[in-house]
Amino acid sequence: MATTAIVAETRSTASAGANGGGKYLTFMLGREEYGLPVLKVREIIKVMDITHVPHVAAHVLGVINLRGKVIPVIDLRRKFGFAAQDHTERTCIIVAEVALSQAAVMMGVVVDAVSEVVNVSAAEIDSAPDFGGQNQTDYILGLAKVKGGVKILLDLDRVLGSDGPIAIRPN
Amino acid sequence: MSATGRKKAPKAARVRIDDELASFAADPELAEMFVADGLDHLGTIEQTILKLEASPADLSLVNDLFRPFHTIKGNAGVLGIRSIETFSHKLETLLDLARSGAHAIGPLEIELVLKAVDVLQLMVRELPARAAGQAVTDVASRCEALVADVDVLIAGGAATATVLAAVPQRADESTDPVETGVTWFPEQSTVKVSTAKLDALVDMVGELVIAQAILAEDPGVLRAGEERVARQLAQVRRITTEIQRNAMSMRMVPIRQTFQKMVRLVRDLSKSFDKPTSVTVTGDDTELDRKLVEQLTDPLMHMVRNTLDHGIEPRDLRAAAGKPATAEIRLKAFHRGGGVVVEISDDGAGLDTDRIAARAIAQGLIADSTAMTALEIHELIFRAGFSTAERVTEFSGRGVGMDVVRRNIQALRGRIEIHSERGHGARFCLHLPLTLAIVDGLLLRVGTERFVIPTPSVRESLRPLPGDVHSTHGRPSVVQVRERLIPLLHLGDAFGIRCTSERISDGTVVIVEDSGRPVALVVDELLGKREVVIRSLGEMFRGVPGIAGGAILGDGRIGLILDTGGLLALAASSQAQIAV
Repeated sequence: MATTAIVAETRSTASAGANGGGKYLTFMLGREEYGLPVLKVREIIKVMDITHVPHVAAHVLGVINLRGKVIPVIDLRRKFGFAAQDHTERTCIIVAEVALSQAAVMMGVVVDAVSEVVNVSAAEIDSAPDFGGQNQTDYILGLAKVKGGVKILLDLDRVLGSDGPIAIRPN
Repeated sequence: MSATGRKKAPKAARVRIDDELASFAADPELAEMFVADGLDHLGTIEQTILKLEASPADLSLVNDLFRPFHTIKGNAGVLGIRSIETFSHKLETLLDLARSGAHAIGPLEIELVLKAVDVLQLMVRELPARAAGQAVTDVASRCEALVADVDVLIAGGAATATVLAAVPQRADESTDPVETGVTWFPEQSTVKVSTAKLDALVDMVGELVIAQAILAEDPGVLRAGEERVARQLAQVRRITTEIQRNAMSMRMVPIRQTFQKMVRLVRDLSKSFDKPTSVTVTGDDTELDRKLVEQLTDPLMHMVRNTLDHGIEPRDLRAAAGKPATAEIRLKAFHRGGGVVVEISDDGAGLDTDRIAARAIAQGLIADSTAMTALEIHELIFRAGFSTAERVTEFSGRGVGMDVVRRNIQALRGRIEIHSERGHGARFCLHLPLTLAIVDGLLLRVGTERFVIPTPSVRESLRPLPGDVHSTHGRPSVVQVRERLIPLLHLGDAFGIRCTSERISDGTVVIVEDSGRPVALVVDELLGKREVVIRSLGEMFRGVPGIAGGAILGDGRIGLILDTGGLLALAASSQAQIAV
């Protein structure tokens, strides 16, 4: 337990301010509310036509053309094992910067809906819960108790960056 | 006059040169003009003299040499820089004699002119430092020494021997300007730009060209039908084309450096193989995309090694065949039909078809060669694992040769051809695109997705008759095209996309070829020819089989560019699955 807390603390220092406190962009996935360090977010766009790329992991939807830049798009629902859901009016792509094998690349993350930007103080952040098992909560910076709810603060570099090249060989 | 004699130059003369340069440098504006001009001319002189070294008998080159010297002399004279004027005049005198045929240009003269260029360059380069009153190289004594040498050369006769001895001695002297950190004019008016920025520019310009083409063909625009609109569109097209040409040219570099590496390689290898070989280089100023030039080096090195190892005969065999003892390798680059051709040819033995066939049989690549044409046998050297060398040398014989070369060339969207005649040598032609930024392709539709297949790998496309598609194990697996059976690759199945056409005969098959192996791609529809800008899909999609990149299509969506080699591998694995 103690080790996990320390690891989580080190991680948050690295990713979002000196103590994990700072501004977070919050968004919905199912009924859960998540947060991303706002400094990592480049822009929020409507869902556009996504070009499917074959032979990649299921949560990788494909690529889009963002004003002449080709960027990959990830379905966070699929990545986290939620049931698939049709895109709605509120479905958005959050374009964020992700560290992928040393280089920072732009990536699109499809989420159900974007909520707001909240200020989270370090005191409001709890370390990620340990559910047992290995590295399960690796990508969670912490849990923020804000406005009566709990927001799951994500370390996007760990959610996506750890994947590396995501090509899978045809069986 | 001896070398020691020259060192005791009159002090007065030295002071005069320094003073003159200093007073001149005090007027920066004039100096800037003179310096930029002078360095330019000196550059020309240096280039010309190197050419002259290769062909000393060419009097037109002497004339080319004479002119810039004359201009420098003239400019210096107008500006009152007597030192540079006299110095240039002295060389001009020598060159004047040479161009009238009264004085032959030999190695000494060339060495001298080069030294003079160095000294003149020093004089002009150090003007800023001189103006700032800082210590500079003592050029005066070198000027005097060189002037004396010129006199000796003009006089001719026995004295030349002294000069010969003196020249190398001076070659040790530094010709670099004294480092002062003072500059008030750029050495050359160039800007250093990171290649990433340049690549981004070229990419965006490519998109601009395509966007412009789409706009011109837009039904709305065509409907407008007004002459004014058409005129303005034509103007936009002219400008975009010009921008593209300029942007591309920024990334173009001459192939010279790559060729120079080859010249060096031949020199080294010819020694270690004991096969005296000379290299002729033509068209080394042919410009190619920087990326192409970089990626061309390895394949070329491989081919040069092969030529030396297998192509050029050992001394005794050359003598027996009545060929000159020194073999010749020719490197050639030239433009042809919107692309660039790079050739390596030699006057060696040519490809030994008997030996190649025998080795291919021994290595189990083919069963029998009797029905094969010479061309087909030549093709065998591109097969993976093929090697004719009985022993593995430091340079060749590991069987990772020509197949890798071909793959590299194909990765550059080029192709390689062999022309060979037994006993008379071989010629390898690399046909390359001018740039890697834009690809000509066919746009294909599979379900709702669109793909681009590069035109060079497309053989033909057709709508097969139901009777031409044959199945194995209950799945359509081959299509008969004339007398040939070609394996099918159902792109929809391979990429997990729902096709709109239920049967293959409702859609289209596009026959593509890689390394001589064909595969028939099953698609729903052929949408036509397109020029697209190749975009990398980024680090994340590295190694996705069958996909070479992406292209932004007319409607702003991305179409994936197919990689023929990867598709063949996919086809092979899907056929293997059927067989299981």
